[in-house]
Amino acid sequence: MNELLAWLEASALGHAMRNSGVWTYGIVNLTHILGVGSLFGSVLLLDLRLLGAWRGVPLSSIARPTVPVATTGFLVAAASGVCLAATNATEYIGNPFLLIKFPAIAVGLGNVAVLSRLAAWKSRHTREPNVREQRQLAAAGAVSLLSWLTAVSAGRLAGYW
Amino acid sequence: MRLRSVLWMVVPALAFAALPASAHHGWGGNATEEFEIVGTVESGVSLAGPHAAMKVRADGQVWDITLAPAARTERAGLKEGVIPVGDKVTIHGHRNRDPKRFEVKTERVTWNGRTFNVYPDRK
Repeated sequence: MNELLAWLEASALGHAMRNSGVWTYGIVNLTHILGVGSLFGSVLLLDLRLLGAWRGVPLSSIARPTVPVATTGFLVAAASGVCLAATNATEYIGNPFLLIKFPAIAVGLGNVAVLSRLAAWKSRHTREPNVREQRQLAAAGAVSLLSWLTAVSAGRLAGYW
Repeated sequence: MRLRSVLWMVVPALAFAALPASAHHGWGGNATEEFEIVGTVESGVSLAGPHAAMKVRADGQVWDITLAPAARTERAGLKEGVIPVGDKVTIHGHRNRDPKRFEVKTERVTWNGRTFNVYPDRK
């Protein structure tokens, strides 16, 4: 882990972040916030629907806008996050919040893989889920909400360690 | 689960997550007393990252000198490479509240008869 951070800081990306003007970090930080905001905002809506909110709105109708916006937000956040970390990567050595953040992201992504394999998710365009499937979807929504909330919180607090 | 019970879980969690933020933004994490050290530059001003920073050695101890955000530090005239490594500087600001952390959040840096006032609105 420490070697990875040292390598990241010494990389061309780290040099570029440190030597490209006094506004670079702030603008990349802004990009990260926009990515995280798009990801978490979309995930929040989808997860609340999975947990049983707005039952009058079909799951497929909520999934249609939230899934692509969340995916794009994640990619923007990940790319800008690597840039932010590379700036002074070794300062994060021993930061306990990162040991919460990255496992939480792994859980969130793993949950996406599980959800996308559920029969109720795959058939969301053609039929309503039965009661057992509703519980599966709700469980996936709960895991998602908790994991992304944990990841965002730990990521924000990492800067204050 | 009903929406109302979900909100009862989510809203307090968000409020809790926002709490410790007040400890870092601004000067809450630093002692209220004015603080000053005189030492030699161990590593020069860096304008990278969320705050500009430098390291200063004083009485055998290396101190983390936290400056203003990079753009503000630069506007105060304190650019990278202005103060050579090894030169004597006076750092004025507020020490970290944690006595085990040798960190000063800095208002002014004096070097070679010049004062770089990165927070001119603070005394």
